Amino acid sequence: MNHDPVFSLDEALSRVDHDRETFEMMVELFLEHGPKDLAEAKAALGVQNAVGLARSSHRLKGAILQFCAPASLHACKALEETAKAGNLLHAEALYATLEQELLRLLNALRRERDKGLAA
Amino acid sequence: MSSGSLATPAGLAGLPTPQTVLVVDDEPTARIALAARLKRLGYRVIEAVDGKSGLDALRRERPDLTILDWMMPEIDGPSFCERVRQDPELLTSQILMMTSHDEPEQIAEGLARGADDFLSKAASKYEITARVQSGVRAATLIRRLEDATEEIRRKQEVLEREIQSAASYVESLLPAPGIVAPGVQMVHAYRPSLGLGGDLFNIVSWGDGVLGLYLLDASGHGVSSALRSAALSTFLRRGNLLRHVGSTDPGAILTEANKQFPLTEDGNYFTIIFARLDIRARTLSYATAGHNGAFLQRSSGEFNWMARPNLPLGFDASTTYVTTDLTIAPGDRLYLLSDGLYEVPDSSGALWGQDRLEETICGCGPRPLTEVVARSIEEAIRWQGHEQFPDDVALMGVEVTAAVV
Repeated sequence: MNHDPVFSLDEALSRVDHDRETFEMMVELFLEHGPKDLAEAKAALGVQNAVGLARSSHRLKGAILQFCAPASLHACKALEETAKAGNLLHAEALYATLEQELLRLLNALRRERDKGLAA
Repeated sequence: MSSGSLATPAGLAGLPTPQTVLVVDDEPTARIALAARLKRLGYRVIEAVDGKSGLDALRRERPDLTILDWMMPEIDGPSFCERVRQDPELLTSQILMMTSHDEPEQIAEGLARGADDFLSKAASKYEITARVQSGVRAATLIRRLEDATEEIRRKQEVLEREIQSAASYVESLLPAPGIVAPGVQMVHAYRPSLGLGGDLFNIVSWGDGVLGLYLLDASGHGVSSALRSAALSTFLRRGNLLRHVGSTDPGAILTEANKQFPLTEDGNYFTIIFARLDIRARTLSYATAGHNGAFLQRSSGEFNWMARPNLPLGFDASTTYVTTDLTIAPGDRLYLLSDGLYEVPDSSGALWGQDRLEETICGCGPRPLTEVVARSIEEAIRWQGHEQFPDDVALMGVEVTAAVV
């Protein structure tokens, strides 16, 4: 199990000049769209659609980059690259890793959002 | 879908309008993050969620900079760039392509397909700021260049209208062809090389069967030459000649004109033939100043070039120009012309020349003067192979008819 911090709040906030409002808006958007992109990736993988898988994982990667989440980013990159190469041999395993890391990230972001709301 | 908002007080309360950045990205989290950063930097930000709405926004808003994701559904970043570069209205748009591709081959492809610069999605906020500022700077320079080009085009239009107006004025100074005095017919052709020529000619009845006529050729072309020609033609009006020269003797007139019109600072000068035709006395008196384009074609067919070797006007104020007298007979034709007619080159550079002009006119025989003048122009055009003369061309033919003389 990965015990590294799921994402770096400081770095993520720094990218938006510590604008908490913008950060929270990004979190909300990602909580909504991240699972959809993941579901699209899963559907594409189900029908061995490498192009669709590459597109969905690319979108996810763009969002994950904003949160400075290295494990999720690494998993997403690996899946995108294999999909772009058209070689889906290990894609199932890579997808499973991404799903796990993304779940951790989404949960961490949800907690961060709730902390903000409580404050 | 696209949305826009003013990000900073810039543009409000009379402050300069903020520069506009269009962000085109189908991934909302990254798009929001970038838009927020740009707004904090003071830019007006427009967001578009895909390539199609991005192109619509680009056409509608004409932003200073477009930041574009590479991978998008339907119209991806490189295809977006290609469409922009093929659209005359948009082709100067500044495009910053945002991508996680950082391989040199992919960057080269993006540049080849129309992107101006690249920005990594993982770039630091400092790099984003620097790249955006660089793109906006380039856009500002391009806008200035476009504005300057437009200003030049507007001024050019004004100038062309003024030149056309001046050309109309110059042509209004030319005599109307036809019977200019009892027993004297005149036909002319006038083909300025630039719409506004430096050649002028005239034939004016001075009463009692006497006519004054001249053809002058100002060196150079265009506005300056036309203005100088108009000034000399004003000097050559009869009333002015009587006041300043006290005579209608051609030699005396050119001698005085030579003093009045010295070489310009640019070294420009006039060549001219001035003549006095006395129908009753059957004489043609004339003087030339560096002007070779004049000949008399006798009714017998004899052909006499009239030029005398001397200086054009303006070279030496002490020059005296001498009058030559000829007798004329019914049916004689006098041709005054600028050297632009016979000095036309063919494709090899060979000039048409005075001999070919003489052959052309002699070959016309006793055909009407209008036909001879038209034929001379046609032959010169045929020689050079196109309609546009490189120098101003003027040709005035004067025929003394048998009826009066």
